[in-house]
Amino acid sequence: MIEIVTNKLNPQVLPHLHVWGWEVPIYLFCGGLAAGLLIISSGILITRNEANFSYTVRLSALLSPIVLSVGMFFLFLDLAYKAHVWRFYTAFVLTSPMSWGSWLLMVFYPLAILQVVLLYKDKLEKYTFLTPIIDFFMPMKKHIAFLNVHIGSGIGVYTGVLLATFYARPLWSNSVLGIVFLLSGMSSATALMMWMAPPIKKRFYATMDMYLLSLEALAITALIIGGITGPENNHSAMMELITGAYAPWFWIVTILGGIVVPLFIETRESMGKVHFSPITPALVLIGGFSLRFIIVYAGQASPTFF
Amino acid sequence: MSRERKYAMIIDTKRCVGCSACVYACKTENNIPEGFCRDWVVSITKGTFPNLTMQNKSERCQHCEDAPCVSNCPTEASYYPGDGTVQINRDLCTGCKACMAACPYDARYIHPEGFADKCSFCSHRIEAGMETTACTQVCPTSCLTLVDLNSNDGKAEALMKGRDVKVDKAHAGTKPKLYWLK
Amino acid sequence: MNHPISDSGPTRRDFIKISSGLLASSTVLGAIPLNQLFEQEVYAMVADKIVPTVCELCFWRCGVDAHVKDGQVFKLTGQQDHPLSNGKLCPRGTGGHGLLYDPNRLKTPLIRETVDGVSRFREASWDEAITLIASKFDKIRDEDGLEKVALFSHGFGASFFKRLFKAYGIHNFTAPSYAQCRGAREDAFKLTFGHAVGSPEGLDIAQSKYLVLIGSHLGENMHNTAVQDFANAVANGCEIIAVDPRFSVAAGKAKKWLPIKPGTDLALIRSLIHVMVNEELYNRSFVKENCIGLDALKAGVADATPESTYAITGISPDDIREVARDLGRFGSSALVHPGRHVSWYGDDTQRSRAIAILNALLGNYRQPGGFIHQTKKYGVPNPYKFAVNKEGFKKFHSRFPLASQIPSNEVLEETIKGNFKAWFVYGTNLPQTLGDQKTTIEAMKKLDFLVAVDVLPMEITGYADVVLPEVTYLERYDDLDDRTYRKPYVAIRQPAVAPLKNLNAKPGHEIAAMLAEKWGLKGLFPPIEEYLDKRLRAAGTDLMTMKTKGVMVKEDNTIYRQPGEPLHFKTPSGKIELASAKLSSLGFDAVPQYTKHPENPPGYYRLIYGRVPMHTFGRTSNNRFLGELMPENEVWLNKITGLDLGLKNNEYVHLINQDGKKSVSKVRLKLTERIRPDVVYMAHGFGQNDPRLEFAYRRGASANEMISNLTVDPIMGGTGFKNNFITFSR
Ligand SMILES: Nc1nc2c(c(=O)[nH]1)N[C@H]1C(S)=C(S)[C@@H](COP(=O)(O)OP(=O)(O)OC[C@H]3O[C@@H](n4cnc5c(=O)[nH]c(N)nc54)[C@H](O)[C@@H]3O)O[C@H]1N2
Ligand SMILES: Nc1nc2c(c(=O)[nH]1)N[C@H]1C(S)=C(S)[C@@H](COP(=O)(O)OP(=O)(O)OC[C@H]3O[C@@H](n4cnc5c(=O)[nH]c(N)nc54)[C@H](O)[C@@H]3O)O[C@H]1N2
Ligand code: SF4
Ligand code: SF4
Ligand code: SF4
Ligand code: SF4
Ligand code: SF4
Ligand SMILES: [Mo]
Repeated sequence: MIEIVTNKLNPQVLPHLHVWGWEVPIYLFCGGLAAGLLIISSGILITRNEANFSYTVRLSALLSPIVLSVGMFFLFLDLAYKAHVWRFYTAFVLTSPMSWGSWLLMVFYPLAILQVVLLYKDKLEKYTFLTPIIDFFMPMKKHIAFLNVHIGSGIGVYTGVLLATFYARPLWSNSVLGIVFLLSGMSSATALMMWMAPPIKKRFYATMDMYLLSLEALAITALIIGGITGPENNHSAMMELITGAYAPWFWIVTILGGIVVPLFIETRESMGKVHFSPITPALVLIGGFSLRFIIVYAGQASPTFF
Repeated sequence: MSRERKYAMIIDTKRCVGCSACVYACKTENNIPEGFCRDWVVSITKGTFPNLTMQNKSERCQHCEDAPCVSNCPTEASYYPGDGTVQINRDLCTGCKACMAACPYDARYIHPEGFADKCSFCSHRIEAGMETTACTQVCPTSCLTLVDLNSNDGKAEALMKGRDVKVDKAHAGTKPKLYWLK
Repeated sequence: MNHPISDSGPTRRDFIKISSGLLASSTVLGAIPLNQLFEQEVYAMVADKIVPTVCELCFWRCGVDAHVKDGQVFKLTGQQDHPLSNGKLCPRGTGGHGLLYDPNRLKTPLIRETVDGVSRFREASWDEAITLIASKFDKIRDEDGLEKVALFSHGFGASFFKRLFKAYGIHNFTAPSYAQCRGAREDAFKLTFGHAVGSPEGLDIAQSKYLVLIGSHLGENMHNTAVQDFANAVANGCEIIAVDPRFSVAAGKAKKWLPIKPGTDLALIRSLIHVMVNEELYNRSFVKENCIGLDALKAGVADATPESTYAITGISPDDIREVARDLGRFGSSALVHPGRHVSWYGDDTQRSRAIAILNALLGNYRQPGGFIHQTKKYGVPNPYKFAVNKEGFKKFHSRFPLASQIPSNEVLEETIKGNFKAWFVYGTNLPQTLGDQKTTIEAMKKLDFLVAVDVLPMEITGYADVVLPEVTYLERYDDLDDRTYRKPYVAIRQPAVAPLKNLNAKPGHEIAAMLAEKWGLKGLFPPIEEYLDKRLRAAGTDLMTMKTKGVMVKEDNTIYRQPGEPLHFKTPSGKIELASAKLSSLGFDAVPQYTKHPENPPGYYRLIYGRVPMHTFGRTSNNRFLGELMPENEVWLNKITGLDLGLKNNEYVHLINQDGKKSVSKVRLKLTERIRPDVVYMAHGFGQNDPRLEFAYRRGASANEMISNLTVDPIMGGTGFKNNFITFSR
């Protein structure tokens, strides 16, 4: 029998940490989605015949910085000291993922936007001041895309690593989290493209998303096993997630609705058995979204170990 | 150039009665806004009637040597001034709360003004040449002692001699600097 | 909301909850709200002056330094040189500004008036209020005589009113710190040792090697220096025995916790005496030399064998023998704490006698670790000779033969009989202080005239005809504090800041002076600074010096007995009286005998109560700064018992006592292992019932309200509070 009584006041850590509300999961989701979009656009540029994918390769490139900016806005909303937001750029702290993240964005924007400019060349002809830039970089298009694949992956992983480095929060401190968020981001982006893509291309994305979802499922399995087999704290935190208050949400919305069901449908789509329905991408996007929410909330609820 | 200090706090739980004078003293010393605190009291009772034991602990930031609040701070707002303490530079703080997520001891809070705040070991008093911190000063049972582990005044040794010394959550690996005498 | 007279009998004195408009004004009268005061600066503030003064958050009177910036007190710290502080404070002492800036403070004098059958307060000028009081008292003097007036007081500021009333001809002084607090202890020690324990207690706890605490819950009872000494004892390896039905903080430090059946302590102490005398464990030479009545004592406790005592107390014979033998082993370096609030069961004088006897047997009188002598004063002469007017005054004769002061509860009885017509109440919240609220209120309603001097709209003020707002201790001078804690000292209370501008409150000495003037009493109240300066000069210093130093301390080498120093005791026999002839001559037991107390009615739990570190009774209940860490009290109940009753931890319940009295407010339930299954425990001072106390109003429940049964001590009139029993309702 143990009775612990405290007169601690600080509401942000009582009864457990809750410093991050809805803003941060939205930021993480947008970050992952933007990363995915950039990777898709760049990946196709490198590996496929651009003309073949003229619509989606441009659209994904265009959406990526926009989606990320939306995410950034929500991150800004979360800051308790908004007037000091610029302080992220008066230091670079090697050990701080958040610092890495901030600087990564500084690289992301110019290159991502450059890719957009190159892809939308024809639409931009009237802006003559761009012509020299376009002419200069056009030859390096694939190299830029190559860089962007890595920047995209970097940002995708970052959205998970940001949480994973918090050793004090047992649910988060799990090395697989980065990969999970990256794959989730990519599958979300692919699903979005599947939605937007012209009919003939839908099957391509459905197939691609099928593989990504399977990989994501694997990664999540690894995440769960890693937690369960981890030290006491990580174990109980993970059990709390998969059997506790958040369990129904986690299993039904995130896993079943967000992965299993779409995976099943997409498999059949890719085999041409059924033809495409917008429900699938919707489910994947909702699943990806709820994953961020649940991890952020459950992660704060799982108590710092004793 | 004076030698480097290494401040730590030794807390004798045998003396502590859990009265909270340390909490009130901190609040007035450091102008802690209503609803927040830099230190707090935890009272732990173990056993079943009538075989019980009790321990009172006056807790605060542990001024960790490997402080995750510092390593996770993106702006260097949380930093080591080099005297063994961990401090916060409010002008650099964005209120991103990474430090709060990183702290295994939940020692921080976000001040209504927006910056992260926590126990400073009353650095402003020490800099002003005062003996010790406000909580240590007020404590009617003298169970709190601010020590400089680099000094050779033998204070720390004397207090710990023959006592069972513990730190909290050692496995968090942050090398905390509150030493608990059981 | 007002109170129609009709539905409450032919009296004008209904409790005025809010008189029209007053609550409204009393909310805006708020001095700077705390949070505003403290958020004006996000970094630590630097004082532009530090004023040494004396704390009044409780009656220990530590020296505090008030840190002032821009005319506001923002911090209070312990005076380094003050023997009661040693640079440290208890939690309450740090929160004086919470009282100073309490937005609910009394704003201005109030006079009760009855407009078409409705009793209410109206704001009045000082002159009007003082004139009214002066004339009322003159009328009583001329018609009934001044023995029909009683002064109730508690707190240092009362000295001026005592001076005033002695000169005017009122000599019936009473205080809840007697019959409701330490009275029985003091009278018992006078009977035994010839002098009281006194306050601050002359106990050498810090040096003690073996300390028995019977109830005394040091650590929750936060008398600053007592707790400092206690902590030092613990650190020095003093073995502590905590006798308490509840696992107190002190019990948490103890070698042995004896969860005694409440109310049976006297039986336990008698048994300890039994073992000590029968096994000759007592200090033979000391007893032989200084005590009388050993044989009578031995005979008087013959029946108190550990075995028979076990059946009564639930404390095993082995434990009893072990403690008795350890006491014998440690002898004069052991101490059985005499307690402080001892008005428990009505046998309190005898229980305190038994404790005194036990200490006598240890021979710890003026020995390191035992009792010490604190009779030597710093000695501040009073060059003034203030007039005392006793002519025609018929002295009050208590029906309690050994009452050394007038028991407050007896004044209630006599008031109801019509023998008191008016009360002047300074600094005591009677409706929450005397138990048996019904009688308290009945007595107040019977009065012709009731004056209350207070800082807050506490419940007592709601019954008054005239309410006089005093400024807080941080805004005023009081008399010099000339006492001793190991060292004789004199300390000064002085204003840290000027009286708050938005309030029309005055210091006690000014209020008393105004009355003196109305009564034409000359020379009673020289200007306060002149008065203090003259006294201090007579003591070899002066006001200027004291205003900066705060305290002056002397050495005293007489607290311990010098080797071979002969002892004389101011008892009838001149010796320590193990058996008291005086008691037997009055028909009481010469040697304390145990009498059984009522048992719990089935389904009821004995109500016991105590202190919490951050509050002083009800006086801090509206202190928003202190209240932050403890805004309400909780009622403790044994976990198993609670679960069996189907109660939940932290749920809010009403309390109902053996007489069917239901608590006005609900209180949070604390189910804990830390308490016996047959009792409930709560902190006294909560459940304040005046809505003008906007923070405290009905937070938690009032223990006092549940104490409808008093067991009065036949020897000195103390009110035993602990024969009351509680059950719960949702
Ligand atoms: N923080 C704070 N400190 C204070 C005060 C305050 O208001 N607040 N008030 C001061 C004043 S004026 C006084 S008089 C003192 C009073 O302080 P003490 O004299 O120490 O208080 P007690 O009357 O002994 O009662 C409190 C303890 O007695 C236990 N108890 C209850 N019934 C019994 C019983 O039948 N037998 C035994 N053995 N124990 C029992 C309770 O569980 C509790 O632990 O405190 C002083 N100190
Ligand atoms: N039920 C129950 N009754 C008890 C006790 C208990 O434990 N339970 N304890 C008993 C004991 S030990 C004691 S000592 C007494 C204490 O009994 P009280 O002294 O009546 O208790 P307080 O609640 O401190 O009441 C103090 C009153 O003085 C006012 N006051 C505070 N400061 C000042 C000031 O500077 N000037 C003026 N004029 N007024 C001021 C406060 O507002 C409050 O109204 O209670 C006794 N009665
Ligand atoms: S002031 Fe001292 S005794 Fe009181 S709680 Fe704080 S550390 Fe413990
Ligand atoms: S206790 Fe927390 S806030 Fe303090 S140094 Fe360690 S990690 Fe940082
Ligand atoms: S809240 Fe301030 S101190 Fe904490 S991590 Fe963010 S910037 Fe650093
Ligand atoms: S050291 Fe200073 S800041 Fe830290 S808890 Fe104590 S008083 Fe507060
Ligand atoms: S014990 Fe606390 S409340 Fe009482 S006088 Fe001393 S500091 Fe003030
Ligand atoms: Mo008392």
